[in-house]
Amino acid sequence: MSQYAIQTEELSKVFYHRWSGREVRAVDGISLTVRRGTTFGLLGPNGAGKTTFVKMLLSATHPTAGRARIFGRDVSDPEARGPVGYLPENHRFPTYFTGEGMLDFYAALSGVSAARRRQLIPELLESVGLDRWGGVRLGKYSKGMLQRVGLAQALIHAPELLILDEPSDGVDPVGRRQIRDILQQLESRGTTIFINSHLLVEVELFCREVAIINRGRLALTGEVRQLTAGKGYRLAAVSPADALREELTRRAQSVAGFNGSAEFLFATREDLNAAIDIIRQSGCEVESVTPTTNTLEDVFMQTVGAAANAKAGQEGKA
Amino acid sequence: MNITLALILDTFREAMARKIFWGLFAISTLMILFFLFVMKIDIVEGAMATITLFGNTGRRQQNIEEIIRGVHGAVAAFLYTWGMFLAVFASSGLVPSILEPGRIELLLSKPVSRRHILLGRFAGNVLVVAMNTSYLVLGVWIIFGAKTGIWNPAFLFSIVSTVFMFAVLLSIVVLAGVLWESAAVSTMATVAIALMSPILAQNKLAERLLSSQWTRDLWNALYYALPKVYDAGRMTFEIVQNRPADSWMPFWSSAAFCGAILLAGVTIFEKRDF
Repeated sequence: MSQYAIQTEELSKVFYHRWSGREVRAVDGISLTVRRGTTFGLLGPNGAGKTTFVKMLLSATHPTAGRARIFGRDVSDPEARGPVGYLPENHRFPTYFTGEGMLDFYAALSGVSAARRRQLIPELLESVGLDRWGGVRLGKYSKGMLQRVGLAQALIHAPELLILDEPSDGVDPVGRRQIRDILQQLESRGTTIFINSHLLVEVELFCREVAIINRGRLALTGEVRQLTAGKGYRLAAVSPADALREELTRRAQSVAGFNGSAEFLFATREDLNAAIDIIRQSGCEVESVTPTTNTLEDVFMQTVGAAANAKAGQEGKA
Repeated sequence: MNITLALILDTFREAMARKIFWGLFAISTLMILFFLFVMKIDIVEGAMATITLFGNTGRRQQNIEEIIRGVHGAVAAFLYTWGMFLAVFASSGLVPSILEPGRIELLLSKPVSRRHILLGRFAGNVLVVAMNTSYLVLGVWIIFGAKTGIWNPAFLFSIVSTVFMFAVLLSIVVLAGVLWESAAVSTMATVAIALMSPILAQNKLAERLLSSQWTRDLWNALYYALPKVYDAGRMTFEIVQNRPADSWMPFWSSAAFCGAILLAGVTIFEKRDF
């Protein structure tokens, strides 16, 4: 069995405008691995390509190039989606369903037997705080209630991988806490949780690993703990050789990788300058040097901002 | 099987919620009640009493049988034309509705092939119409049979032919729905193709009237390629009245059309991005 819940190799999606012939690279060669049992946050500004990336994982959108696998199985195989629970952003459950009816339908599609469904549905409704609403049509539910019943839908077949698109969207603080408690329980049971969210604080609180996507490309990936480690200097080197990478890793506080490059965090200016000397001696190039702060929001802003500045610079040169 | 059943039941649930099922059921019930009322009015009661009083002499029996067959033929024709078009109008939204953003992603995230989802929807839709058609035809058949003692099993063929032709037209709804995601466009495309049928069925006349060979060939190609709603309807009328059918070509060629269109719909659906 694969040690990775999700693996993508150079995954790309290009949308072509039928009339103008213009092409939009929504996802551009993303190679990403998500280890089994981890909690992973996918971050990025609006229009970065996060939703397209998630849709390709679920085969709702077909990749233009590259491939994606779930637990080692190509996503084009419907069976690959068997162990996946999914809650989309802006979901639209048919309003003719009651909460129970909706759970019953989606559980049946996930291959849960009728007897098991009868047992599971009341339990799940209770766990999301909707036990008294099971017989009520979804048209009467508030947005937060729909989000919670949607989460129950994603959990009904005890998935090994849970993909959540903005799970706290529209949920009040109590409901948000309830969702986080459920996710923590799942994490302790070894479920891999993949969250696509705008809420950086929520991702920082809950996820162990993150990836930041910007303009369709993977801008940064690493462990939250390392990325948000104390203040210092972040140094990005372009495709360092193995020996150089090892040497820098020894000197650095933490390391993160993105698209073949590596980003090292140094605690002091002296360590940073020593590292730059080593990099230059080995003929490797320095991509960027950034003073670090200690929140995920800062890491996010630096990463996205750096990319925006780089693009503006290129456009200026052109 | 579990999954297929779930998809079919979901279509039923939606048809009920959109009042499609109940609308068709109400129309069928009204027709049944109408025939119950007709069988109770004096003139029919009188005719029936006459037969009972003087015995079923051959000629009287034959007349009654002809009347019953005529009524059966009229019901079959009504059902085949208006009933079927009503069903197409009513159910044209059932395919585009599953393609709505926020709903389709969830369906596609389940371990079910796209083909299965689309064909499950198609089957559910056909079953909704099949149940209502059977209810109406069986109701009318039992009323007339019980009242007159004349049981015309050929009338039951109208269930098969109506449901079959509905399935053929529904395949166009499916393809148009997958292509344009619009109930209105699906209906327009389906009705346009159905309305071409009585015109194209005049291919013998067209052969004489059209001057160039290529227009005659085009006419014939369209006639054989598109569903023969008109010819199959005429055949149904004949069969219901116990007259022999000359050829089953309208049925099998329409079935081939349905298969090809469904295949195209499924292929496009499998390739689409949502």
